[in-house]
Amino acid sequence: MKFKKLFNRIESIKLESVTKSYGDRFAVRDLDLEVRGGELMILIGRSGSGKTTTLRMINRLIEPDSGRVSINGANVEDFDPVRLRRSIGYVIQNIGLLPHLNVSGNIGLILKLEGWDQAKIRERVSELLNFVSLPPKSFMDRYPHQLSGGQQQRIGLARALAMDPPLLLMDEPFGALDPLLRTQLQDEFCKIKKELGKTIVFVTHDINEAFKLGDRVAIMDNASLVQVGTPEELIFEPSNELVSEIVDSKRKYRHMEALKVRDMMQSLDSGYFLEGNMPAEIALRKMVDAGLEVAFVFKESGTVGKIPLNEVLKAGNTGKSLNDISKSLLVFPADASLFEALTQLKEEGESMALVLGGEMPVGLLFSDRVLQGLV
Amino acid sequence: MWNGGCLSEIPIINDVLTEVQRVWDTQLLSLRTLEHLYMFTIALFVSILIGIAVGVLIYRSPKLADPVLNGLNVVETIPDVALLVLLLPIFGIGAGPTVAASILYSILPITRNTYTGLANVPREYVEIAEALGLNPGEVLMRVRFPLALPLIAGGIRIAVVFTMGVVTLGGLIAAGGLGAALQNGIQLYDMGTILVTGAWVGLLAVILDGGAGVIENRLKVRYGTWS
Ligand SMILES: Nc1ncnc2c1ncn2[C@@H]1O[C@H](COP(=O)(O)OP(=O)(O)OP(=O)(O)O)[C@@H](O)[C@H]1O
Ligand SMILES: [Mg+2]
Repeated sequence: MKFKKLFNRIESIKLESVTKSYGDRFAVRDLDLEVRGGELMILIGRSGSGKTTTLRMINRLIEPDSGRVSINGANVEDFDPVRLRRSIGYVIQNIGLLPHLNVSGNIGLILKLEGWDQAKIRERVSELLNFVSLPPKSFMDRYPHQLSGGQQQRIGLARALAMDPPLLLMDEPFGALDPLLRTQLQDEFCKIKKELGKTIVFVTHDINEAFKLGDRVAIMDNASLVQVGTPEELIFEPSNELVSEIVDSKRKYRHMEALKVRDMMQSLDSGYFLEGNMPAEIALRKMVDAGLEVAFVFKESGTVGKIPLNEVLKAGNTGKSLNDISKSLLVFPADASLFEALTQLKEEGESMALVLGGEMPVGLLFSDRVLQGLV
Repeated sequence: MWNGGCLSEIPIINDVLTEVQRVWDTQLLSLRTLEHLYMFTIALFVSILIGIAVGVLIYRSPKLADPVLNGLNVVETIPDVALLVLLLPIFGIGAGPTVAASILYSILPITRNTYTGLANVPREYVEIAEALGLNPGEVLMRVRFPLALPLIAGGIRIAVVFTMGVVTLGGLIAAGGLGAALQNGIQLYDMGTILVTGAWVGLLAVILDGGAGVIENRLKVRYGTWS
């Protein structure tokens, strides 16, 4: 292979007071943004707000007039642009396949330039096609004009993944698709996102897409960054009118007031409950066998304790029982207001609570899943 | 039935076939055709090489584009007979100046179309390539050039017609080829030779142009789906 990847892991991407203007108009103005390794950062905003410009400054397709863009602490200006771009996957707004190359030609273009041999390229292309749910046999040799919009989009993603880059830049990848297909591709992407384990910067102007896919969302307006935060933060603490308008927090908020905890909980069976006097090492085996990240115990006080898997691991062979390591846990009745429950979770810095139906535990409430369920 | 035997029984057709046979034999048309195609092939091949090379060169150094294209345009306006004569002092008589003149004529259409084709590839495709991490040379070879191929083929097709014409004219200056047979016919005032050779040259030109057209269309289908 001709070159080594510039980075195998993304620790962070930092944009520091980055400005780019065309003539006397700012495309991006004094923007500060940090993308953490492994997260999916959404850039959202109206048309012309500077999303694409921001994205393209990361792989040096556009050079900022001032400010600094760095990856893992190194200024991107110190990298050769060609090497930089080959280390970063880029999914282009409006599909962007090369019309004179067939599917394997498009996906394998960079691999070929990197000097991979034919057989290896074919193998990699098949692997990627399978990954984006297109049977390689029937798609390898097709030309872009012989593909539907959704298929082209999948090829675009496969091509961006060809070199297995640790960072993906995606510019409205589902923007050109009809709503149904769009939802389907979003769902698929949600699933593969975890598998990919990559840092992703994703541009969209669809707030539902943003909340569905994003770990954090950066709202841009008029060349500036307005607010960055998790979907919850944006909904509950919009920094200004524009943000609440974009996240539509009034409507969601009202919507949420009508909901009860039971509407959004995950159901729970008795398999989650263990004996309080069980030694940690036995509990560990049981939890691993059952694939549980968390278990619960009834305490003598009548309350319920939470046993996270990592606590059990930590206890190891120390002979401690589950009662010794159990953590306290927020509990809500199933008919409590969902909004109040979420607010309280947030205040306590917890991400999970137990839901009681009468005296019996019936479910779990996860704050992050609630928001995904809403959009 | 309508087979060759029957055809020759119709008096006019019989006469024509006899005349064709006569001219073909006395004027050595098989040999002349080979000479003709030999000059044609060499001239066209060199024109394509030079034409594309110059097209790429002026694409890469746009400052040269105007002077080079204007210069080639001037060459184009020289009448072909005059150009042949002008080349005589340099190349002597025969195939040399003929091939040289064909090349001089054919460079312009190929160069012009190569240049236009490379320059007019839509910006979006170039941006895709750059975003993927192609360097400028790779963008030229892997994206611009293939997407310009239909237009380049159009230029070559024009060159095919030019070359055919100039090579035929080469008969005037002892280049051999079918032009020589035509020249003989004219000097002897032998109408049969003039007509048969003329028709054969015309037919060859149509076939070659048709072949070039087929290739051009193939390339359009293969590389031109975006336009
Ligand atoms: N090459 C350019 N020349 C001049 N102006 C430009 C150029 N590129 C972008 N701009 C301007 O900069 C601003 C930001 O553009 P950008 O492409 O980043 O917007 P965007 O948020 O991606 O919009 P969209 O949602 O429509 O894709 C726009 O006003 C745009 O017109
Ligand atoms: Mg954009």
